[in-house]
Amino acid sequence: MRRFKLPPQILRLVLLTLAIVGSYLIARAFLTPASFGEFGWYRGEALVELRSRPPVYAGKQACDECHSDQLQKLAKFEHQTLSCEACHGVSREHADNPDVLPVKLTGSHCIRCHEANPSRPKWFKQIVVRDHYSGKCTECHVPHQPSQTP
Amino acid sequence: MKTQYSRRGALSRLGGAIAGLLTLSAARTVKAAVQKVFVASGAPKDYDTTKHKWLMCIDVNKCIGCGLCVEACKKENGVPEGPYFRTWIERYVIPKPEPGSGQTRGETLVDSPNGGMHGFPPTPVPKDQIEHSFFVPKLCNLCEHSPCVQVCPVGATFDAPDGAVLIDPKYCIGCGFCIQACPYGCRFLSPVTKTAEKCTLCYHRITRGLKPACVEICPTQARIFGDLKNAGPDAPIRKFYENNRVSVLKPHLGTEPRLLYAGLDKEVR
Repeated sequence: MRRFKLPPQILRLVLLTLAIVGSYLIARAFLTPASFGEFGWYRGEALVELRSRPPVYAGKQACDECHSDQLQKLAKFEHQTLSCEACHGVSREHADNPDVLPVKLTGSHCIRCHEANPSRPKWFKQIVVRDHYSGKCTECHVPHQPSQTP
Repeated sequence: MKTQYSRRGALSRLGGAIAGLLTLSAARTVKAAVQKVFVASGAPKDYDTTKHKWLMCIDVNKCIGCGLCVEACKKENGVPEGPYFRTWIERYVIPKPEPGSGQTRGETLVDSPNGGMHGFPPTPVPKDQIEHSFFVPKLCNLCEHSPCVQVCPVGATFDAPDGAVLIDPKYCIGCGFCIQACPYGCRFLSPVTKTAEKCTLCYHRITRGLKPACVEICPTQARIFGDLKNAGPDAPIRKFYENNRVSVLKPHLGTEPRLLYAGLDKEVR
């Protein structure tokens, strides 16, 4: 009875296949980032990287830390829904260091929202600037509560 | 002269290559560990992605088209100048039907000059001929079944456990598949980084307890943002649900967006 022997050319092919698959598996294990697959088919570390960027807008909470008196007054006024930075501009540097003054206001802030436009909702107060007044808005309106006169 | 190949030479070269690969990967692991220490230092540590589910609601009746959100988004996220937007405002103008045409309304006109960032020019139709006109803010629809995530060939874009659809800028190869896949046109290829970019819900802000820049800046509170997993009965998103009938964009696609609209017209897609 002759013992079955694998032909040498087949044996070489099997060994070669094993070597290729094995080296692929080893390379994959080393080259895949450690956090890949932590939550799904992506790098979990990317979540940390994405949230490490510092914010640009300081937010109303930051203003409240020093200007809480203004914010308490504003809460009763018509412009209560506005964020401070909507009119006063990006103020993060000012919030981090009060010595850095926020960007100075320059006109046209009122018109940006209140110029009449047929696409704006009906409940929203609008004026046709040309027919309304040619001077400054602040001559007749207090910016925090526009129904008040200064 | 003919090159001589020997078994010994080939084996030693193969061994050298494997040794080099192992050294390289070890070096990368060390570098990643060192980077983790430094990169993570700026990120908020007490944030657990699995304990939140973010949701955005938009009340179309409150949008006044001022463009502050578009401007805030550009500043907050360093979006490149030009026609690149993570959020933008569309103006819909629906004229009255021509008399005797037998139609309910005229042909809808939609425009968004520079994303609405600097306001809108006068309407193309005179005021007395307009039946309806309104503004619709747009951004990532936060799909539950995101087509953009399904097509990414390298695992660079993903649904985070907290519901944000994000892009890993280090993994993105800029192939643009996701830009074509997004049914809402919310992605673009950045000319600066050459990778896909989109609304991240201001991920660096919401993980610090701040609102996204567009929500923070909106003067009429047309945008409402909240956390479904931590919403009390008085949370703004709960109030929004109670006071409005909500709808989503392109519901027939089955993407199940978590960007909800109140007061949408059927012309809005």
